[in-house]
Amino acid sequence: MEALLDYAWLVVVLPLASAVAITAFGKNLPWKGSELGIASLAISWVLSVLIAYQTFIMSPMEEPVEFSYEWAPMGSEFVFELGMLVDGLTAVMLLLVTTVSLMVHIYSREYMHGEKRFTYFFAMLSLFTFSMLLLVIANNLVQAVVGWELVGVCSYLLIGFYWEEKSNQDAANKAFLTTKFADIGLIVGVVVLSAGMFGLDTSTPFNIREINAAATAGELSTTTVVLGMLMIFLGCMAKSGQMPLHVWLPDAMAGPTPVSALIHAATMVTAGVFVLARLFPVLAQSLVVMNVIAVVGVITLFFGGLLALVQDDIKKVLAYSTVSQLGYMVAAIGVGGYTASVFHLFTHGFFKALLFLGAGSLIHAVHSNNMSDMGGMAKAMPYTFVTFIIGTLALAGFPLTAGFFSKDEILIAGEIWAGAGFATGHLVYWVGIAAAFVTTFYMARACFLIFAGESRSHHPPHESGKQMVGPLVVLAVLSIASGYIFSPVWTAEQNFETWTETEFITEETVYPFAADADDAAEDQGEAVGTPGGIQGDGVLAAGSEPSVLAAAEDGELTVLHGAPTWHFDLLALLLVVFFAAVGVAWKFYGKGPPDRDPTMQMGRVTTVLVNKYGFDEFGYRFIVVPVRDTMSRAASYSSNVLIDGAVSGVGRMTKNAAFATYRVLDQKVIDGGVNGAAFSAAWWSERLKRTQSGNVQRYAAALVAGTIVLVVAFAAAT
Amino acid sequence: MSLVGPLLLATFLFCVGIYGVIARRNAVLVLISVELMLNAVNINLVAFQNLLFPDELAVSGLMFALFIIGVAAAEVGVGLAIVFNMFRNRASVNVDDVDLMRW
Repeated sequence: MEALLDYAWLVVVLPLASAVAITAFGKNLPWKGSELGIASLAISWVLSVLIAYQTFIMSPMEEPVEFSYEWAPMGSEFVFELGMLVDGLTAVMLLLVTTVSLMVHIYSREYMHGEKRFTYFFAMLSLFTFSMLLLVIANNLVQAVVGWELVGVCSYLLIGFYWEEKSNQDAANKAFLTTKFADIGLIVGVVVLSAGMFGLDTSTPFNIREINAAATAGELSTTTVVLGMLMIFLGCMAKSGQMPLHVWLPDAMAGPTPVSALIHAATMVTAGVFVLARLFPVLAQSLVVMNVIAVVGVITLFFGGLLALVQDDIKKVLAYSTVSQLGYMVAAIGVGGYTASVFHLFTHGFFKALLFLGAGSLIHAVHSNNMSDMGGMAKAMPYTFVTFIIGTLALAGFPLTAGFFSKDEILIAGEIWAGAGFATGHLVYWVGIAAAFVTTFYMARACFLIFAGESRSHHPPHESGKQMVGPLVVLAVLSIASGYIFSPVWTAEQNFETWTETEFITEETVYPFAADADDAAEDQGEAVGTPGGIQGDGVLAAGSEPSVLAAAEDGELTVLHGAPTWHFDLLALLLVVFFAAVGVAWKFYGKGPPDRDPTMQMGRVTTVLVNKYGFDEFGYRFIVVPVRDTMSRAASYSSNVLIDGAVSGVGRMTKNAAFATYRVLDQKVIDGGVNGAAFSAAWWSERLKRTQSGNVQRYAAALVAGTIVLVVAFAAAT
Repeated sequence: MSLVGPLLLATFLFCVGIYGVIARRNAVLVLISVELMLNAVNINLVAFQNLLFPDELAVSGLMFALFIIGVAAAEVGVGLAIVFNMFRNRASVNVDDVDLMRW
């Protein structure tokens, strides 16, 4: 079984093969190429499950499986690698990506039925899956960047799938350009990190494990870590929809709904979080970096969620919800919740994909994205209704669903972080709870508008077919089941945390800056790091439960927080929040849609939310317009006038020089020389031939004259 | 014995010979002029023999003079044969008419 891990690259290569095969001859197949995608993904999925199982029972893995070959030797022993790194984190991502991708492939067969670019769609889905897997399995940052850019391209192509409409093209361009802008940050960050590695004794400065090792050993300078990680975080901000670079994500909903489910909810947008998790040992070296990440995450998780309140388009609601949930993950990274973040990434992938596919099923039935065109769908679409509700509960963090376990884990991480004396911990904890209220409210609003009351659709709604309902049911099961992987039902020796821990993040790993902070905190309040200390900070944490605070015990703040336990106080608090939010939503929307939507009557707040905080307006006025109207003109000028002028000028000069050379050098000098030699020879011969008179006496006279000359010359010489 | 007399005579004869070779048109006279030049040389040879080795009659200068006289006779024979042929072909002994080797 262990040998299986050596073949993890198969998981990555199969979707690539399928993408190529679908492109080559997909159109001639009976199912128009979709069977190739589904078959390859099914094999990949089985392999992923086996790999996940294997890494899980081996966890914590002392030594991850790493395997690479020299992609491009660059001389002086410096090598670009192409390889794979299989540990728990990789396995989790492989499992998530292949599962959701397989479900989306199956679902799309019915959803995209009859599309004229059906085959193209499946080729792109497979290509995207390959790119994402390439990113998660990468053992070095260059390969990760390659995968990262490839998913960006696939995202661009799939957002613009219905390219006949201008608005869809615009959305694709916006997504691509926004993420592309931030990708510069990612590349700069990678270069900065590897530049720090060049000073060390290594031939592979991009290798992730070596970077992590160097960072944990303190061999990377503070500048390298801070600058490199902040730049990489910039890339992650755009990819993972963090404010203010989230603006592309809601527009990306222009793509087909299965694409939204796969790319813009479950997998691609989590790439940023994944990279942060991969490089967690590096960013954990600097409190500055962690604070920046935490603050951005907190802002995003709250304000992103608020935007969902005023949306009528069901996909936009889910898109802003994705932004908000990604904010949770990033914030968790920022407060040391490595496991919590990865865990939330994992569960969120399932339930958000479920919600999007459910929304797709609804859209398929009523031919409209707008919730105002739905209503009363519960009776017509029972399967969609039940699975959608399960997804909603998971997203809202209702107890015993997947979202409950993962989101609580993030809040607990914030609490522990706060307990160690860092203010961002409190921020994440309390804003996280507030955002949970918002999340529950907008999801309850959506559910009431969609499923309650009378049908407002122009088409009689009908349940979708088996191929769409099947994936919904599978994902619904996973939306509940996936949470238990990191719940108290597992042993302390083997659970999600041990699964995803790496050799740099173990039970004993301590934040390098935590010792100082502990001292400082102990100076202010007393006994920070004990349960009492946290209670003293006013957090409703279970102070009597020592293992809750295992991470903060003994005054040491470790990266891993230990096995999960029940937190009934937090559970109670969240339940209150949940029922309050549902109650409020019921009051407004329970009896069908109100004539005037209360979220639209909050005065200034509504204006601000409808305008999306002015980000789009700001971007249009200060980025799009200047770039389009000024820079494009300048670019056109520089292209048409400067560069073309220079090029044609050089051409003209060359031509003139050539003509001048021809006229002067070739015609006059060389030809003139040759002809002149010939002419002068003829001219002289015409004159010299006269001496050949044939008259012997003249020859004799010449002889005599010559003799006389010689005699005189000799005489003069002597 | 002074050399002045013989040398002046030789010079005079040589100059007359050169003049004749260059200036005369008649081929026979050209041949005779050549003979004059040869004789001028003979006079020189005899004169210097007389001055330098007056007692050794068997040596050098005189012998050279005798050889030259012999060679001159042969030369005149060949030359006259040519002149005869020329006259026979062209009915003229004017050297200006003979320019076959012209350009």
